[in-house]
Amino acid sequence: MTFNWIGLVAAVATFLSIWFGHVGVRKIEAASPTIWLPTAVALGLGLALEAGALLTQNLYVSGALGVVGMTILWDALEFSRQHKRIKHGHAPANPNNPRHARLLAESESATTVNWLDRDPMGHVVNLPREEQSL
Amino acid sequence: MNFFGLGLGLATLLIIGLGFVWVIRGEYYLGYLWWPYVMGFGFLLIAISLFVPSVWGSALLGAVGASIVWGSTELKEQAVRAEVGWYPFNPNPKPQPPLVEQIKKWPAPHL
Repeated sequence: MTFNWIGLVAAVATFLSIWFGHVGVRKIEAASPTIWLPTAVALGLGLALEAGALLTQNLYVSGALGVVGMTILWDALEFSRQHKRIKHGHAPANPNNPRHARLLAESESATTVNWLDRDPMGHVVNLPREEQSL
Repeated sequence: MNFFGLGLGLATLLIIGLGFVWVIRGEYYLGYLWWPYVMGFGFLLIAISLFVPSVWGSALLGAVGASIVWGSTELKEQAVRAEVGWYPFNPNPKPQPPLVEQIKKWPAPHL
C-alpha cells in the first residue's frame, strides 16, 4: 500500500498559510509604521513563490509554493484590512506604533483593548462607548 | 511550465474563503461547543487524502481538511464576535453536542 502524500503536503501548506495570515499579518501590521511596505514585500514574495511553483517539476514543491504564494498575495490586501479593523476597534491598537497612535487619537472606536480576549457568555454583551458600530 | 501549484493555490484561496462562511453560519446555528467534532472531521479528511490515488483529489481533500481544522479553532472567537455585536447573535437555544459537559471542561483551542 503506497500513500498519496500530496494531500498531506497541501494540508500542511494550507494550515501554515492560514496561521500566518491570521497571526503573522496581525503582528506585522501592529509593528509596521507604514502599510505600503509590508504590502509591497508580500506582493513581491507572493509573486516569487508563484514563479517558483510554475518553474519546478516537483509536484510537492509546486503544490506547497502555489498555496503559500497565493495566500501571501492575499495577505498583501489584509494589511490594509487590518488597519481598518484597528480603526473600528475590532482589533487592539499598538500605542507605540505612530500610525496606530494617530488612529487612537482620530477614531472614536479605536482602542487598545482586545474585545475578543475572553470566553463566550451565551448572551449579548454591551461594550462601553461606540465599539459595536461597524 | 507546471501549473499544478498555481491552480492549487487559487483553489485553496476559495476553500479558505468558504471557511469564513461556514464558521459564521456554523457558530450561529450550532454554537462553538461543537469544535472537537469539527476538528476531528478535518483531521479525518486529511487522513483520507492519503488513500486517494488522484493527485488533485488528494490535494484538494488535504486543503479542505486543514481549513476545517483551522476553522474549528475559530468557532470560539466567532461566538465572542457575535456576542459583542459585530455579527448577528442567535438568541435561540443551540443544539448541544454529544459529551457537552466533557467538552466544556476543555479549553477551546484558539490560535
